[in-house]
Amino acid sequence: MSLALSLDFQYTTSIEKAWSALTDSNKLAKWITENDFKPVVGHRFQFRHQPNEYWDGLVDGEVLIVEAPNRLSYSWATGDERHTVTWTLQDLGDGKVNLHLDQTGFSNVHGLEGARYGWGNWFGGFEKALEL
Amino acid sequence: MNENNQLRDVYDAIADPTRRELIHLLSESEEIPLHELTAQFPMGRTAVSKHLTILKEVGLVHDRKVGRETRFRLDASPLREVQDWVGFYSKYWSTNMLRLNQLFEEEEE
Repeated sequence: MSLALSLDFQYTTSIEKAWSALTDSNKLAKWITENDFKPVVGHRFQFRHQPNEYWDGLVDGEVLIVEAPNRLSYSWATGDERHTVTWTLQDLGDGKVNLHLDQTGFSNVHGLEGARYGWGNWFGGFEKALEL
Repeated sequence: MNENNQLRDVYDAIADPTRRELIHLLSESEEIPLHELTAQFPMGRTAVSKHLTILKEVGLVHDRKVGRETRFRLDASPLREVQDWVGFYSKYWSTNMLRLNQLFEEEEE
């Protein structure tokens, strides 16, 4: 499938701290959501977002690649959608780290609309919280 | 991917490189006759026509007869769905990455 999401984010931190933020369950809970993630190839986990009337909030994943502190990949499934999320960490020097995200496997499943609206709903709530 | 596949949608339409090239060619002109489009590809007129039919089915391409000639033009608006869909995930991650930044800032303190 040709569709892919590719994003870069730069942070002032060390590559070890960035790796820990991506792989430590307690830290993931702080910036993504409650989860039972472990950086162990083959481990199956869930990211549990707040459910709403359109979406149960669950993302089912399986860890595919763990190459500390540079590369992490897992599958990422919600409803009928199954994607692959791959993180590439790069030390830029001067205490800067680049986090590159690739999310691939976007399909054309029609049933995704519910999830899309559900997540949109969730974003709305989050953006309101930011404004407070 | 599943039993819904017989329903053609815009994602199917742009999954093929020939069809992306057709979209690209059509984006550069107001309207292009079939024979001019066909001349751009190392495949027969029938094959190119089949690709154009798929683009027509999802509303990316419109055609009209002028004499014996069929002319094609692009309507890019269905591509918005693709943009929205990818943009949605982009927003999901951008929002979370903002929170990650807060986490790093807290660690620094």
